[in-house]
Amino acid sequence: MSTELRFVEEYPYPPDRVWRALTTAEAIADWLMPNNFEPRVGHRFEMRTKPAPGFDGIVKCEVTVLDPPKQLAFTWRGGGLDTVATFTLEPIDTGTRLTLVHSGFKGMKGWMVSKILGGGWRSKILRVYLPAAVGRIGPDGRYTAATLANQVSCSHE
Amino acid sequence: MPRPAISSDVFRAVADETRRAMLDRLREEELPVLALAEDFDLSLPAISQHLRVLKEAGLVADRQEGRQRMYLLTPRPLTEIFEWVSHYEDFWRGRLSALRRHLKEKS
Repeated sequence: MSTELRFVEEYPYPPDRVWRALTTAEAIADWLMPNNFEPRVGHRFEMRTKPAPGFDGIVKCEVTVLDPPKQLAFTWRGGGLDTVATFTLEPIDTGTRLTLVHSGFKGMKGWMVSKILGGGWRSKILRVYLPAAVGRIGPDGRYTAATLANQVSCSHE
Repeated sequence: MPRPAISSDVFRAVADETRRAMLDRLREEELPVLALAEDFDLSLPAISQHLRVLKEAGLVADRQEGRQRMYLLTPRPLTEIFEWVSHYEDFWRGRLSALRRHLKEKS
């Protein structure tokens, strides 16, 4: 089961250039957040953004992988998260393919991410469960259609 | 940075590992309370308490069938959870677009 967010982007620039944008504090500030990043494994840094309920606006990070110009990983802690962001670069004909994986969602958050991204719940709920259930639930939270269970279990596939 | 403002009934309901497992189980089929209690090796009062929390969050519905009370997953409130996850997805998509702009401007 997937408990990670994964994004793949292609940029029309060579990996060296993308790598610089990922590993230079000023560049990171430009596209991600203000920070005191330094390109060495074990370096602890912070990124700052606007505080929000349950989040003081500070993401605490530590560089865990630095393999130029292929892979950068740092921890991503704050706002109730204890996760890891991993950036992987691959040269392609048209430039660079960047894969970003935000992983390490645990407990309830892991379940939420995996249910929605890995378990196909998003599409299944919208296409199957919701149409089957809507209209059969009374205002008291009870449902009455005796055949509903069959309809739902038949539409699993 | 996303705002993990997790406070509603739905999040409270899924904050518990047993209740998450119960939702997974009810996703497969409609079940009577007794079967759930057996599956999870819990007392009837304990499973009823979990079902009450799930029902208050709108995640399950029940009906009487003969002498049994049957429970069914009603996943509409999970859309709140979609929003939570979408928030993170939108955050990173936005940042990766900003990276594209950054690369273009600096080249």
